[in-house]
Amino acid sequence: MSLISRFRSIPVTYRVPVIVALLMVMISAVISERVLDRLSRTQEGFLNGLAETYLDGLSSAVLPSVLRGDVWEVFDALDRSSSSYEALSPIETVVTGSDGRILAATDPARMATFSQLPANYLNRYGPGIVTIDESALTGFAKRDLIYQGQPVGTIHATFDVSRLFAERHEIFLTLLVTNGVLAVLFSLGGFLIVRQMISPMRILENHMRSAAHGTAEPISLEQIPEGDSEVAGLFRGYNTLVHAERERANLAMQLAEEEKLSSLGRLASGMAHEINNPLGGLFNALDTLKTHGETPGVRDTSISLIERGLAGIRDVVEAALATYRPERSHRPLSADDLDDVRLLLKPELHRKRQRLDWEIVWNGSGELPVRGGPVRQAVLNLLLNASAVTAEGGILSLKAEDSRNQLVIEIGDQGPGFPADFAGILVDSDPGPAVRAGGGLGLWMVRRLVDDLRGRVVIATKKDGGTAVTLLIPFQREDRKANAA
Amino acid sequence: MPRISEAEVQPFKFGLTPVFLSNDLELLGYLRGYLTSKLGGPVELVSRRTYQEITALLVSGQIHSAWICGYPYVQFKADLDLVATPVWHGKPLYQSYLVTAAGRPVNDWTGLKGDVHAFSDPDSNSGFLVTRTLLAKNKLLPEQFFSRSFFTYGHRNVVRAVASGLAQSGSVDGYVYEVMRQTEPDLIKQTRIVQQSEWLGFPPVASPKSLSGDPRVKALRLALVSMKNDPEGKKVLDLLRLDGFLATDPSLFDTIAAEVEIVRQFG
Repeated sequence: MSLISRFRSIPVTYRVPVIVALLMVMISAVISERVLDRLSRTQEGFLNGLAETYLDGLSSAVLPSVLRGDVWEVFDALDRSSSSYEALSPIETVVTGSDGRILAATDPARMATFSQLPANYLNRYGPGIVTIDESALTGFAKRDLIYQGQPVGTIHATFDVSRLFAERHEIFLTLLVTNGVLAVLFSLGGFLIVRQMISPMRILENHMRSAAHGTAEPISLEQIPEGDSEVAGLFRGYNTLVHAERERANLAMQLAEEEKLSSLGRLASGMAHEINNPLGGLFNALDTLKTHGETPGVRDTSISLIERGLAGIRDVVEAALATYRPERSHRPLSADDLDDVRLLLKPELHRKRQRLDWEIVWNGSGELPVRGGPVRQAVLNLLLNASAVTAEGGILSLKAEDSRNQLVIEIGDQGPGFPADFAGILVDSDPGPAVRAGGGLGLWMVRRLVDDLRGRVVIATKKDGGTAVTLLIPFQREDRKANAA
Repeated sequence: MPRISEAEVQPFKFGLTPVFLSNDLELLGYLRGYLTSKLGGPVELVSRRTYQEITALLVSGQIHSAWICGYPYVQFKADLDLVATPVWHGKPLYQSYLVTAAGRPVNDWTGLKGDVHAFSDPDSNSGFLVTRTLLAKNKLLPEQFFSRSFFTYGHRNVVRAVASGLAQSGSVDGYVYEVMRQTEPDLIKQTRIVQQSEWLGFPPVASPKSLSGDPRVKALRLALVSMKNDPEGKKVLDLLRLDGFLATDPSLFDTIAAEVEIVRQFG
């Protein structure tokens, strides 16, 4: 992770103060550099001015004495001037004659009169008025003594500039402390302000996080700030969204229930028909028994007829019970579940004179670790849908095969193909827009069931026309084996 | 009467040389006040940087009287009258000192050979003539004995030059040196006496012979001699650390005249 990415991962509550502190440090550094640079130049200008004044005054005082070679008068002038320029803090002043020998120095014991000036005094000067040696905290300046255009001597002056550096150091420390305190205060202020600013966002974040986990709750009125119109607007917008989503979900559940009842109605009518058909035979058998029950052959034949008729009715009723009783929907899926579906669909197929091609390849044991109820319901819905879009006398198909960890069920029809909106309900990652586009409640129920099973749907056009809808439902075979073991 | 009137118009000019502690403005104020009261007219104190300037003004009659050194007095004895001589430690005598930096291991004047030497004034007895005579008696010239020498035109300046190291040794008025021992002990502590001369005539107050009849000169002599008896005059004497003034005979300065002769003969 790069440094920028790491920085971005820091919460904004801390990121803003850090940015403020960094900005303050940068601003402080720039300001300090400018202040110290300006101070340095001011000090140098001040020092140059003082040195010029000192050398001007001293030149006037000593020039006649230097001309006469009057050692005492030169010394006396130096002695008197040393106490007159305290601001400059002269450490040592040496006056030499035209021959380069020392006439007098402020400290004759160190720089003896009439001795030769040390060579380093001649080489220590830079181009400026005052040359500063920062390591020794001293400044040097010299002035040639000119009389009638002729050099008659030189003044070499050494100043104590430690006060200038001490002043710079003091100002640097002052800047450092002041800017440091300001940076801390601004950072703290930034932290508090940002925390205050984003606290409403945290409320929104928490609600949205809850919503992502399936429990979207509106923000309570107490938490909506009165004065902050932007945040209040945002919160109200979120609450409107939550309410709208709840209404939509309620409506969808209601519609789904209605669709379920509708399907049930269709099945019930089919079942009634299926039950009604044997009922005629049963009643005929009963009449036959009433009339010719004493005849053993007739009685046995009639009873057998009644028994088969009731067995058919029992199968239909059991299939309906298996499909629509929730407590039975959690059982593992077995081939019987798919047979139930075929049984339930039979009246509809019969009504429309359609044929169902049935191909089940069950590789494992009798049961798969997949909840049978939802699979049965989804397959039934898809087959009903396939029947609806296929013309009378057409052919439907169902192929089911379990692989190592996936159940694949393909339902084929001979319909004109899925409209894009209807297909979106089954295959889009977010089926919301397709659902809102209208219709397809049966398909939406299939989608919800498949989502519950963590499966997915693939829609393809068949080579010989029609559509193949394939359910891919994963499962954990190991669990099954473990259970089996 | 006309002379009195002239005197009233023209102040009595009294010259001072650096032998005197001329930097003390309080002293100058007291001295002017005392002389003014005693002479009955305005007194102007005239100071110059060198002995030579004051001597020239005195000999030429441009000032009425001056406190000069014994050496110029001897040189211009024919043109000058003695007015009075200061009395120090009971006698009208003083000494010349050869001084050097304190702590320097020098026992006598021979140890000063090769020094940078500070003289007071080329017309000063104690600050130049005495040392030059000492060297002449030993067949030496100052420029031979000392590596370098210079004049400071003030006995106090000689002490400052030696104390600061500007000069390694100096010739100084013993009276000034002793007074400074009381007034500026820190400065004196940085020096020590190498050699003291014999007792010599104290620098006298003299006036041109041309003014010998001037009553103000007589009044000046009286004022000086009686100074120790006058409260105002006593203040002056206390500041000068002198006992008083005495009318002395010119023979008091014969020893100085003998020194001049030695130097003249040696060249």
